[in-house]
Amino acid sequence: MLEIVSDKSWKLLEKCQIQNEFDIVKARQTVRHFAKETGMGIVDQTRITTAVSELFRNMFMYAGGGDVVIEKGIVEENNTLIITCTDTGPGIDNVELAMTDGYTSGQGMGYGLPGAKRLVDKFEIVSVLNKGTTVRVMKWK
Amino acid sequence: MDFNEKRIPIIKIRDYLIVSIQVDMHDRLALQLQMQILEEISRTGAKGVLIDISTLEMVDSFIGRVLSGMASMASIMDAAVVIVGMQPAVAITLVELGLEMPGVDTALNMELGMEMLEKRLIKA
Amino acid sequence: MEANTEIKNAKARIEHIEDVLSSVAAGELDIRIESDIEDDLTGIEQAINLLIDDLTHELKKSIKLKEDMEEKLHKIQEQQKTILQQQEDLMELSSPVSKVWDNLLILPVIGTLDSQRTQIMMENLLQKIVSTGCTTAIIDITGVPTVDTQVANHLLKTVTAARLLGAECIVSGISPAIAQTIVHLGINLSNILTKATMQSAMIYAMKKNEQLVDGKLKTNYSEQDEN
Repeated sequence: MLEIVSDKSWKLLEKCQIQNEFDIVKARQTVRHFAKETGMGIVDQTRITTAVSELFRNMFMYAGGGDVVIEKGIVEENNTLIITCTDTGPGIDNVELAMTDGYTSGQGMGYGLPGAKRLVDKFEIVSVLNKGTTVRVMKWK
Repeated sequence: MDFNEKRIPIIKIRDYLIVSIQVDMHDRLALQLQMQILEEISRTGAKGVLIDISTLEMVDSFIGRVLSGMASMASIMDAAVVIVGMQPAVAITLVELGLEMPGVDTALNMELGMEMLEKRLIKA
Repeated sequence: MEANTEIKNAKARIEHIEDVLSSVAAGELDIRIESDIEDDLTGIEQAINLLIDDLTHELKKSIKLKEDMEEKLHKIQEQQKTILQQQEDLMELSSPVSKVWDNLLILPVIGTLDSQRTQIMMENLLQKIVSTGCTTAIIDITGVPTVDTQVANHLLKTVTAARLLGAECIVSGISPAIAQTIVHLGINLSNILTKATMQSAMIYAMKKNEQLVDGKLKTNYSEQDEN
């Protein structure tokens, strides 16, 4: 639905769904596996794994679940790992606000988005109220 | 992957509880562990808890909050929590995430962690 | 009417010329037109042979040129490899972490710090802290000419990460110039312990580690420990 499209030159590595907490763990371990394969050092592997863990949990907690697409391709001349999370949940009211540190939404917890953004090299988000949210992150170094 | 509700073992040595987290915990397991530790403190009267995360390759904001929550809750029950063995990659990521866990005691390893707890108890 | 040009064995010799030309076209350059007859065709036969000679000569030159270029390219690639390796070595060398005393690590930083280098230094230091179990580390920046916001933030990150691990970092060797820059840039270093000199940092550390008591060095070493 949303305007974040995959580049045709990218290679699909894996598709999975987040429907429960176990899926969150499985999916982040899959991401770490591919991060290792891309040749990332251990710190960068940890960064991307942690970032996607935040995104997966968001999908699960606020949208009841969603889809994850893991791809790899060349972005800005780098071997890049691309993870796209799509859900059809309630959407984020004010994305700009959600991207600021210190923003919380009920339960005293924020979306963890600004933190996740700091951990990755590229961060894109599109969200429409009552339609859903798509977040894409990329990591290469 | 066996997702039966496994429990993370808690060992008691002298006045301390030692917990070694060796699995990639799903959220419910982490909360369960938090409850378990508090129950053990209550049951045994332990004054200190050493949580070994040396094999934990990732600590995200949820796990981070569970760990710092554990420290605060335990201190209300008059027990000190020391988290030992954090991996450098994890520490760097936590700082970048903006999760600095103030008020949580940490030590490089089990030995130093125990020393820290002992100094604490002598003062008490 | 023109005198009749006599060419002996014309057909055979013309065929021979065609054969030679085909061979040359196919790449065989060692072939030449052979004939012991001297007549009006001889001129063309010799001219063709000379042409093949020239062609052979040019080709040889061209091949030699190509070989020279490939050799040069190879040399440049080797040099590139060496430069990259030296850059890596420099990065490693310029930020070695040393354990100078019980429970005390020192990281002397020399030269300009850029983002990548600071990152490597940080990971290196944290790794060393974990592997040696030292709870005190001194980052000495006496050898660093300038500090910008990015570098200051990296230093801050390193100290915070070390704290998370259970170790304390002291930053020493801050020059008056750097102190001014830091204040001008509005960088908040209140969470970092700083000392002007490495010596004062070491004294602080050793006092904290109870190795310096009442101005006296307390040590557990005996003569036998000296190596």
